Amino acid sequence: MENSYGSEIPHTPNVQPKNWLVESILATIFCCLPFGIAGIVFASQVNSKWVAGDHAGALEASRQAAKWTKISFLVSIAGFIFALIFVFFFGGMAFLGSLGVMGVNG
Amino acid sequence: MDKIKLLSRPIILGITVLFIALLYFFIDARYSTIFPRCPFNLVTGLLCPGCGSQRAISAILHGDFLHALRLNLLLVLSLPLIVYSALVHTLNAFRTIQLRQTIFYSPLFVKLFLAAVILFWVLRNIPVYPFTLLAPA
Repeated sequence: MENSYGSEIPHTPNVQPKNWLVESILATIFCCLPFGIAGIVFASQVNSKWVAGDHAGALEASRQAAKWTKISFLVSIAGFIFALIFVFFFGGMAFLGSLGVMGVNG
Repeated sequence: MDKIKLLSRPIILGITVLFIALLYFFIDARYSTIFPRCPFNLVTGLLCPGCGSQRAISAILHGDFLHALRLNLLLVLSLPLIVYSALVHTLNAFRTIQLRQTIFYSPLFVKLFLAAVILFWVLRNIPVYPFTLLAPA
């Protein structure tokens, strides 16, 4: 995967590091967490630091943007799975309760 | 072998997107309670920039773009960007010389987008018309 967008760590010093903007936007819209916005802030820093010639700073901002985007996605995927399990578990319990198999009162 | 490796990413992503689309098509989030509520909204009672997005996806999948606009304006406006990015990614999987998504690397564009997100976040929480139009309904 030697392309400029696919690798997390840029392979050449002459290519601006990936800024994770699209991923951050997706995280902001779909994950309902402020972490996605943190990702956009760091994406902005990747661009402005790169333009200012601060390549090390841009690289660090890229790592931060990647980190917050991933945290955002992982937390929301975990939350989604947890919510679905919760719904099916209690849905199942209520169903059993309605059959009088189990005493579910709460 | 390298070709397979390069193509596996967009294929996995494509299957995931298709699966999610089917889920939100057959279980309409606008009328179903099985989908989780936004944790930010649950804790604070306030709307986040993503609130209404699950319902908006279901609305779009059923061709109801007006309702989607009403549920989450930011999502509908960001959709062209997301589609553009997905298209470039897909094209790049077949190309040796990679296309760069230059607009996303413009410092001005990112700052404007960030400002738009924060503005949207604040405005949709103001319980006064016309800002109430930005809250999902």
